[in-house]
Amino acid sequence: MATLEPAVTPDARAGDPELLERTWGSPPGLLGWLMEVNHRRIGRRYIATGFALFLLAGLEALAIRMQLAVPENDLLGPEVYRQFFTMHGATMMFLFAVPIMLGIGIYLVPLQIGARDMALPRMNALGYWVYLIGAVTLYTAFLLGVAPNSGWFNYPPLSRREHELTIGIDVWISVVTILEVAALIGAVGLIVTIFKQRAPGMSLNRMPIFVWSILVMSFMIVFAMPTLMTTSIFLGLDRRVGTHFFNPGGEGDPLLWQHMFWYFGHPEVYIMFLPGLGMVSMVIATMTRRPVYGYTPVVLSLVATGVLSFGLWVHHMYATGLPRLGTSLFTAASMLVTLPTAVQFFCWVATLWGGRPRFTTALHYALGFLVIFLIGGITGVQLGAVPFDLQVHDTFFVVAHFHYVLLGGVVFPLFAGIYFWWPKVTGRLLSERLGKLGFWLMFAGVHLAFWPQHHLGFMGMPRRVYTYLPEMGWGPLNLLSTVGAFTLAAGVAVFLVNAAVSLRRGEPAGDDPWGGETLEWSTPSPPPVYNYRWQPTVKSRTPLWDPDWGTQPVVTGLREDQREMLSTTLLDARPDNREILPGPTLVPLVTALATAVPIVGVLFGLHWVPIGAALFFVAITAWNWPGAMPHRTEEPGGREHRLAQREREREEAEEEAGS
Amino acid sequence: MRPLSAARPRLPLAACALLAGGCVGTGVQDVLAPRGPQAERIADWFWISFALAVAVFVAFVAVLAYGLLRARRLGERNELPPAHGRNLVLWGGLVVPTAILLVLLVLSAYTDRRISRLGRGAGPEPLTIEVVGEQFWWQVRYLDPAHPHREFTTANEIHVPTGRPVRLLLESRDVIHSFWVPNLHGKTDLIPGRTNDLVFQVDEPGVYRGQCAEFCGTQHARMALLVEALPPAEFAAWWERQLRPPAPPTDSVRVKGRDVFMKNGCGVCHSIRGTPARGRVAPDLTHFASRRTIAAGTLPNTRGHLGGWISDPQGIKPGNRMPAVPLKGEELQALLDYLHSLK
Amino acid sequence: MRAARRGLAAALTCAALAGCLRDLDPYLEERHTVAGGKAGEGPAAMRVYGCGSCHTIPGVRGADALVGPPLAGFAHRRYIAGRVPNQPDELVRWILHPQGVKPGTAMPDLGVTGQDARNIAAYLYTLK
Repeated sequence: MATLEPAVTPDARAGDPELLERTWGSPPGLLGWLMEVNHRRIGRRYIATGFALFLLAGLEALAIRMQLAVPENDLLGPEVYRQFFTMHGATMMFLFAVPIMLGIGIYLVPLQIGARDMALPRMNALGYWVYLIGAVTLYTAFLLGVAPNSGWFNYPPLSRREHELTIGIDVWISVVTILEVAALIGAVGLIVTIFKQRAPGMSLNRMPIFVWSILVMSFMIVFAMPTLMTTSIFLGLDRRVGTHFFNPGGEGDPLLWQHMFWYFGHPEVYIMFLPGLGMVSMVIATMTRRPVYGYTPVVLSLVATGVLSFGLWVHHMYATGLPRLGTSLFTAASMLVTLPTAVQFFCWVATLWGGRPRFTTALHYALGFLVIFLIGGITGVQLGAVPFDLQVHDTFFVVAHFHYVLLGGVVFPLFAGIYFWWPKVTGRLLSERLGKLGFWLMFAGVHLAFWPQHHLGFMGMPRRVYTYLPEMGWGPLNLLSTVGAFTLAAGVAVFLVNAAVSLRRGEPAGDDPWGGETLEWSTPSPPPVYNYRWQPTVKSRTPLWDPDWGTQPVVTGLREDQREMLSTTLLDARPDNREILPGPTLVPLVTALATAVPIVGVLFGLHWVPIGAALFFVAITAWNWPGAMPHRTEEPGGREHRLAQREREREEAEEEAGS
Repeated sequence: MRPLSAARPRLPLAACALLAGGCVGTGVQDVLAPRGPQAERIADWFWISFALAVAVFVAFVAVLAYGLLRARRLGERNELPPAHGRNLVLWGGLVVPTAILLVLLVLSAYTDRRISRLGRGAGPEPLTIEVVGEQFWWQVRYLDPAHPHREFTTANEIHVPTGRPVRLLLESRDVIHSFWVPNLHGKTDLIPGRTNDLVFQVDEPGVYRGQCAEFCGTQHARMALLVEALPPAEFAAWWERQLRPPAPPTDSVRVKGRDVFMKNGCGVCHSIRGTPARGRVAPDLTHFASRRTIAAGTLPNTRGHLGGWISDPQGIKPGNRMPAVPLKGEELQALLDYLHSLK
Repeated sequence: MRAARRGLAAALTCAALAGCLRDLDPYLEERHTVAGGKAGEGPAAMRVYGCGSCHTIPGVRGADALVGPPLAGFAHRRYIAGRVPNQPDELVRWILHPQGVKPGTAMPDLGVTGQDARNIAAYLYTLK
């Protein structure tokens, strides 16, 4: 029903699948894999890598929980434990949550806006390679026993050289810097794509809510990430060159780090949260077979959340002795930021109301998100209040809070999105039975693991302790929490089994198993490398639910023997220009390696920074060398030959019909 | 057989009493077992917020469940009329949350003012104590600006009089630590390069446990402290005792113990008033035997624990700053005798 | 060939049983009975006196120090502190007053009460 078949006879020059395949495809083999610039393949790599890191960070968490399960445990000594909790936090926050959301955006956004690829394909590839280099660097350090060890937010003076000689801190600085580069690249690519590559007719107020969430997230990345890069470079300079940004003895201030880090750090958690909100909107709408109630309030809420989140950072610093009046303003701001999310919550309730939704696994995860995130949001409001925060800051109450909001607000929507879009990406269905089993295990696991931690915080258990005395009485709740962590892990394991079975012998999904309303459901599953045989136009927010979707006009007039896309205007998406995109090339990989040389090389010596900068310059020159584009599909005799061929075939068909 | 100088502990509560100032279930280090006005006000705010939290959660889940199952009950789709939808979003998503948040905000500001006003302006002059955090112990210096000769330094235990505000001046010599005694007040960080202050008051005599609450390195987990509140007269007597340096030992074993202490360089890091030991980078041991714990709340201060600590500090608290000093058996016994004579 | 295999089986069984047999030694129980000692209260007492600050003791949380010898398998030791035979009354005497048994040893006199010493001794004899 959903696949688009134009009513008018297509122009003989348009919609030739074979030609499109050759124009938009990649060379085979390893070389083709390294040269890949196609957004779906790159998106899949981001998602697969991000998910693998999620599993690794989960294993680190299980190790932490096993160490804390009983008092005075000796599974992980204090030096190893420091590395584990730092790696768990850094992996989840830097290597999993943001990259996987970027990856889903990179995969899905062009499909949802009716484009054949992202606006800047080589940059897209560069982002992935840089991310992969960052991940490999961090985990190599971990395997070598020199992982960063002072927490994922790495406060000086502890992280300054005089207190932490280990190269692990420098590894943290390099990895974080390189990951910020990757995130910025992804964000900029997404912003340009969303602004310029939307299908004609898809004005901003007809964009899918998921695309809005990715747009807001990307702007947040652009405004937040540079602060972290700057401040981690300051720490690197303190450690390697002898500056005193954070050294009170040298007129510096440890609080400078906290301000700069959290100015990034608070928006960071909303960066990972917003795409989840977008995914939940899509799942609820499709499963209820209704557009989300209150499109405008929902979109405005996304934007408001993004903007407001930049004004909260001091709530991480209430205990540092800042003036009370100032911190109270941040209490007000921290409470204010919950309002847009509350609006969205009720929009979803209104969507679901009386609607007989289909309780698929995806919807289960979306509903689970509502419950878990609500609890986390409530404890967040409590933490926003200065006096109460002074009691529970840096205790397991905070650990409970942020796991509720992150598991509830990032992981559960992620799984909802996985169950929702898996058929589109792989062409197969996941088992609903296994899916629901996995959901309930994860749901129960979250509560079992993290509810007791609220109590532990009240009972006086601080964060980041590698052990505790039996006399404190924290043993039973810690043990319960460990059991919960394993339950959660079991739920994730069930998903892995489900995924493996589906890939081997899952039921074919068809184009549109859910009866979706947005453009991606009108392509085959998985989509061909060129996404759309005929690029669609739209005239509503829910194009596939329009009664006359079948006769919707399509885009014609673009060449199909080179990578051409239509760019449209920002607000109303009227056709504007013709973009010519580059084809597969090794330049992004080479540039990524050149980027790694100064950022990772600095670990081995300061001289690598200028050498790396020179290499980077060379790579960028190669990137911009004229003649790299356009990428033309070679064809014996060229287009004219094919046109003549088509003409002949049509005449033969007419003759047969006539006779 | 020499008389034993260590306190005789009684099973099985002794370890609790020494380490935790009480036992499980009696609210040790417990935010919701306040023993001072600040902690009480904070706990009050929490309970109000908790009641509102439960109400919000139950209400939302009820509304969600009702809406989800409504069609199932009615047997057909029954969508929300646009006006009702608008009301639901407006009231549920904006008006009611705003009201609740305003209440919490105002109460929070009010609580903050109440707990901050103690010790400032009118009222009794607070007792001022300087607390310097180091990896991984607390230096405590009792100040008396009017009589500087009555000031003295100790470590890891803070004694305060009941019924009088106590003002802590919080500093750090190395990295960021955080001072937290939940029964009494919220926490405040000790940040190198600045002096923060924390004012609290204890109403009931007792021993209250606290712990460092900002990751400060490998042994952050074992950087605890005790606050002991005494009635004012007892507190004054305690102050007098602390001012007096211990009498030089006369017992031959204790003399030998003191020699062991001095000859093995302990005085380079630790100080004992009235002796050549003047070190400042480790806890002051002048009245060591009057303290309940060793190594910042890591072990109870008994002979057996102390023997193990001195023999192998890195085994018990790996990564702390105290080296192991090899001693012969009889040297260790003499040293234990001497240290436990420092009441 | 069959005989060799049977012999091997017998040898393996013996080796496996030897460990168990040590525990089934009927004289072990008799040798290691501490009159009036409650083994179940041993670990708590050891925590109070700080035994774990110097010894590694199975079943006592946090007792993983190497200042004194580890106490795993204590029931099978033949000597205490290399000085006196490992028998109930000697062990209790040692716990009460090690400096009297072996003057100048590193283990301090800890002020252990009589009942606590018997409980601790009884517990140590469960460490097989």
